[in-house]
Amino acid sequence: MSTSPNGLLCFTNCLLVQEDGSLAKKDLWIDERSGTIVSAQRVFYSKLQRPARTIDLGGNILSPGLIDIQLNGAYGFDFSVYEGDDQAYLDGLKMISSRIVETGVTSLLPTIITQERKLYPKLLSLLAPTSAPGGAHLLGWHVEGPFLQDAKRGAHSSNLLLPASEGIKTFEDVYGAENLQLGFERADGTDAFGVKCITAAPEVDGVLDSIEELIKRGVVFSIGHSTANSVIATRAVTRGARLITHLFNAMPQLHHRDPCIIGLLGASFLPEQNLPHDAHRDQMRTADEVAMARARKQVVRKATVVMDEATVDLVTPPHTPTGGQFDDLDLLQNVKDIERPYYGLIVDGIHSHPNSVRLAYSAHPKGCVLVTDAQPQLDPNLKDGAYEWRYGKRLVKEGHKLYIEGTDTLAGSVIPLGACVRNFAHFTGATLAEAIVCATLHPAQCLGIEKRKGTLRAGADADLAVLDRDGYVIATWVRGRQVWTAPSGQRGS
Amino acid sequence: MRFIIRDTPAQVGEYVANYIAKRIRNFNPTPEKKFVLGLPTGSSPIPTYKHLISLVKKGEISFKNVITFNMDEYVGLPEDHPESYHTFMFREFFSHVDIDPQNVHILNGNNPDLIGECTAYEEAIKAAGGIDLFLAGIGEDGHIAFNEPGSSLASRTRIKTLAYDTILANSRFFGGDLEKVPRMALTVGVATVLDAREIVVVVSGQRKALALSKAIEEGVNHLTTLSALQLHQHSLIVADEDATAELHVKTVKYFKSIEMVQDQVERDHAELVKRRELSGKQTGF
Repeated sequence: MSTSPNGLLCFTNCLLVQEDGSLAKKDLWIDERSGTIVSAQRVFYSKLQRPARTIDLGGNILSPGLIDIQLNGAYGFDFSVYEGDDQAYLDGLKMISSRIVETGVTSLLPTIITQERKLYPKLLSLLAPTSAPGGAHLLGWHVEGPFLQDAKRGAHSSNLLLPASEGIKTFEDVYGAENLQLGFERADGTDAFGVKCITAAPEVDGVLDSIEELIKRGVVFSIGHSTANSVIATRAVTRGARLITHLFNAMPQLHHRDPCIIGLLGASFLPEQNLPHDAHRDQMRTADEVAMARARKQVVRKATVVMDEATVDLVTPPHTPTGGQFDDLDLLQNVKDIERPYYGLIVDGIHSHPNSVRLAYSAHPKGCVLVTDAQPQLDPNLKDGAYEWRYGKRLVKEGHKLYIEGTDTLAGSVIPLGACVRNFAHFTGATLAEAIVCATLHPAQCLGIEKRKGTLRAGADADLAVLDRDGYVIATWVRGRQVWTAPSGQRGS
Repeated sequence: MRFIIRDTPAQVGEYVANYIAKRIRNFNPTPEKKFVLGLPTGSSPIPTYKHLISLVKKGEISFKNVITFNMDEYVGLPEDHPESYHTFMFREFFSHVDIDPQNVHILNGNNPDLIGECTAYEEAIKAAGGIDLFLAGIGEDGHIAFNEPGSSLASRTRIKTLAYDTILANSRFFGGDLEKVPRMALTVGVATVLDAREIVVVVSGQRKALALSKAIEEGVNHLTTLSALQLHQHSLIVADEDATAELHVKTVKYFKSIEMVQDQVERDHAELVKRRELSGKQTGF
C-alpha cells in the first residue's frame, strides 16, 4: 500500500460525519505514522506541512469507524465458549478482529452471556484489550450475567443465574478480583485491563448496593435482564448506572403508572422554578434521597404487595406494576441530579418494532446506542440454516433473525451494525449521519473513550469507515491504514 | 484608479479571481522568483477565494510559488479560535489550494512582543521583495485592513485598537456579545498597502455603498482610509451593483466607459507584444 512521503494523508471530496449529526463537506487530515487524526489547521500553521498524499472519496461519507458494544461472537466464533485451549480462544479473537472490519466496525466489546461460574475468571482474563494487525480493536469485555433476573433471562440459562448476596465481594468471587481492578491507559492508548461493562439486574439481591463500587473500578453498569420498577431503576441510575442493555428486551414493558426501566428515558427533573433561591434548594432533594425515602415507605407496605414479577417463577406473567404511583411522582418531580442513561437498541426490525425505536429515540436522542447483540452466526456471507450453539442447542438463522431451535425465543441477532444504522435512519426519520452518530459517538461516550474512538476529533485514532450515500460500507481504516475495501463495483454490509 | 462594476458578488469574485490568476500566470513564478500576494479576510473576498480554488482544482493556476501576506489578525484570540483570521484563511482558502505553508504569513496576535511581531512583518515583506498584488476589502466605515477612521495614511504594520463600529459589526461572529469581540488587532498600515505594486479591492453590498462613494468621489481623507488608493498608480476596485448605490450616475458611467477602453488597449498591447516577439524570432534578434 502506498504511503504518504511525509506521513500525512488528506481525505478530500467527502462528507464528514459531525458530532451533532450533520454532514460537513470538509477534508480530513490524518497522520499515517501515528495512526491518528490531526488538526489540519495546526499542522499547516505550526508544522508548516500539508499532506503529501490525497485520497478523493468521490463524494462519499467519511465516518468514525463503527463501535459495537454488544457482540456475542461472529464468523463462527463465540466469545462465551472456552474449550480449555487459551491459544485457540485468543486466535478466535484475532480472527474476529481481522474479519469484522468488512462491516465497518473498528471497535467492539466482546460480550459474554451467563456462564458456568468457574469459567468467568479464565474467560475474562483472556479478554484483555487486543487487536489483530490491521484488525478492529477488541476493547475488553462486557458481561451479561450471572446477576440477572430469572423471569427476564431470555436466552440465558436459568440454573446459572446467581444473586450477589455479598455485594461487591460476590462480583469479585465470580468474575475474579484480578479482573475487576481499576484499569489504566497504556502508552499506545489501549486499556491495560479488559473490564468495561457489566449488565445486571439491580433488583437482584446485592446488585444495587454494589453499583457504586463497580463504577469506581471503571465499570459501565448497565441495567438489563431485569424487572426493576421505576424506583429501583432510578436508584440504579443515581448510583451510577450508565446504560440500559437492549432496551425493550428482557425488561417489563412500559406501563404508564410505573414505566420501569424504559421510563428512565423520560426521567428528567422539571425546569428551574422561579422560587426564591434558598426555598428552592430546600425543596430539592437528590434522587438518591428521594429514592431512599421511597424505599422506606416500601418496607411498610411490603406485606400488602402482590407477588412481584421478579419473584415469580420462570414463566413471565403479564406485567402489572406493584404500585407506589404517588411516591414515584415525588421521586420524579424532586430529583435534580439524574442523568439519563444510554440505551442499547438492536435495530434489526425484530427485537424492537420500528415505532418503539422511534419512541425511544424521540425521548432521548443523545442516549441512543446501536448494538447488534450479534451471535457467532454473524457473517455477512453466511447462508440461512440451523447452526450449533451452546448447551447442545442449535440456533436457526433466518435472514437477520436468530431463534433457539424449536422455540420462538430470540437469541440475539445476526445483523451487521451498518444494516442497523440504515434501519435506524429508515425507522426514525433520522438522517443517515444522525444514525451513524448512534453507532460511533454515543457508544464511545457511554464507555468514556470518545477522545480516542467514535469521533473525528484531532488526536483520535484514525479508525474510519467510508460509506456510500445509502449507508453501505465501502472501505474501512484502522489506525490510519486501509484494512478493507469493497470489491470493485460492490459495496459491503 | 480603475473601477469595475459587476451585477452580483459572485460575478465580482469571478472577475477578481480571473484577474489575479492572469497576473500570476503572466508573472510566471518559480521557486527562485515567487509571486507575492497580499490577502484579506471578511465576507467580501469569499467569492473571489471560491473562484480561485476552482481555478486551482482545474489546474489553471498554482499557488506553489506564491508567497502570501495577510492583512491583519486579532490580538489575544487563540490561533484556532473559529473567528481567528488564521482559521478563516485555512477554512476558506489555504486548505483547498496547493500553497506551501512555508510561504504563508499571518500576523501572530499571540506574540508576547507585539511590536516586535509588527516590525518583523514589515521586514518579511521587504525580504520577499515587496508585495506584487494586494487584494483588499473595505469596512462599512471605509477602512482598509484594520486601519480604522483616523489612521495615518503613512501608517505601517502596528497594533490597532478597533473602532466601536467594527466591534459592533464583528460581534455577530461572537454570538452577539460585544464583550467577546477582541479590542485590538495587528494590521498592516495604509502605507504598507500602498507600497504594493498593485492593489485590488473587492466591494460588495449596499452597506458598503457610502464608504465607496467617500473613497472614490471625495478627497483623500484619513477618516476613509480606502481613499488613500487615489494616491496609488496601479489600483483597481471591483464592486457589485449594490455597492454603487451612493455613487453619482456620472461616476458610474465614466468608469464603465473606461473598462471598455481599457480592455481594447490591453488587447491591442498583447497583440503588439506578440507581433514583436514573432518578428524578433524571424529576424534572429
